[in-house]
Amino acid sequence: MEIKKTALAGTLESSDIQILITKGTKGIEIELESDVKKQFGDQICQAISETLKGFGISQAKIKAVDKGALDCVIKARTIAAIQRATNASEELDWRAI
Amino acid sequence: MVRKAKELNLKNNEDFALWKNFLENVGINNFSEEEVNQVDLTIGIFDKQKLLATGSLAGNILKYIAVSADSIGTGSNFNLIVSELIGKLALKGIFHTFVFTKPKYVTSFQHLGFKKLAVTEFGAVLERGFPDISTYLADIKQTENPVKKTAAIVMNANPFTLGHKFLVEQASQENDLVYVFVVATNAGLFATDERLKLVKQGTQHLSNVKVVSGGSYMVSYATFPAYFLDSPNDLIEYQTTLDALVFKNWIANYLHINTRYLGSEPLSRTTSIYNKILKKVLTPEISVKIINRRQLLNGEVISASNVRKKIAQNKLNELNELVPETTLKFIRENAAILKLRIKKGMKIRGN
Repeated sequence: MEIKKTALAGTLESSDIQILITKGTKGIEIELESDVKKQFGDQICQAISETLKGFGISQAKIKAVDKGALDCVIKARTIAAIQRATNASEELDWRAI
Repeated sequence: MVRKAKELNLKNNEDFALWKNFLENVGINNFSEEEVNQVDLTIGIFDKQKLLATGSLAGNILKYIAVSADSIGTGSNFNLIVSELIGKLALKGIFHTFVFTKPKYVTSFQHLGFKKLAVTEFGAVLERGFPDISTYLADIKQTENPVKKTAAIVMNANPFTLGHKFLVEQASQENDLVYVFVVATNAGLFATDERLKLVKQGTQHLSNVKVVSGGSYMVSYATFPAYFLDSPNDLIEYQTTLDALVFKNWIANYLHINTRYLGSEPLSRTTSIYNKILKKVLTPEISVKIINRRQLLNGEVISASNVRKKIAQNKLNELNELVPETTLKFIRENAAILKLRIKKGMKIRGN
């Protein structure tokens, strides 16, 4: 799948993560801001990357601001951002989820 | 505590009084028309009737962000208000945001994904989202291998005159590559795309000159929000230093610019202060060359404001001494539209 436009999902409130996604040309680039980046940065980026892979997205730029989100929240917010960015909000790809 | 975000209508006296009183309690006292009139939307976070936090949007700029210090959860109210404002912008398809704030709040914004563009002792500017300054610079960069001598000129060119042309030609002769940045703020008699087009046409004969839009990063610095400054005396210095730092830290650094050319400005006090501060901030890393303004035989200076004056006075036949052929052609073809803009109240004075 291809990113068609910039999209945002999630908030900046506690236990949430905000995902901003846009077109990219150099694979998956993730810029993460998190108070627990040292401890969990890799894990958060991995959860985002895997979700993108599930949708067959190989080119994207992501800016993520984490406020202590659990993996399921990271996944859910990434999916929402992908759906908005690919204009696919109407027809969910359940297999990817 | 049940927190709720609600819109505040600043045109409504009751809302305005509540908002103003809240901001005054946290030390913001500047409610001048220039600052408040630009606000498109204001949000308040309430616990029942009590206002806990507020923030506003002016275009894609966050303004008047304030959180009551005596409530529990100051940090989370701050995050909520910024989150709400960013969400409102996203609904409009805007994913790129700026904030101008006191230096002590820089870290709080960085925790929400803002990146520092420049910090002075009076204030700082940060941005967030896409497209950001890295995207802008990657788009205009001419070559991966830096050439020896790269220069930059920033101009409003409202419109492009023989004075501008002389300045660009001078830089073109003395350098391998010249970037001409045309300020993108749409506030003058000539619209942004018209100004950009005329600069491109007027410099077409110079193969080492690259004309680009200043984008969001070379705006009219005089419009930087300044409501949070402690003293109005700091205003020009704060605005111009910030502008000069963005140029130095980002634009010159990334594009390997080693000289900045400026036109002398004997008539405008603000511009002469600006040139002075620019020199202070940029040197010694970047040299600043001030090129003297050319005068006509009769002593008249070539200036864009002079050109606009002549358009307003219907003296198009006196323009060929002031502007190149390309600009003259545009003015002749669009004289009616330009005059209509002047009639509708477009200012012709100023820079």
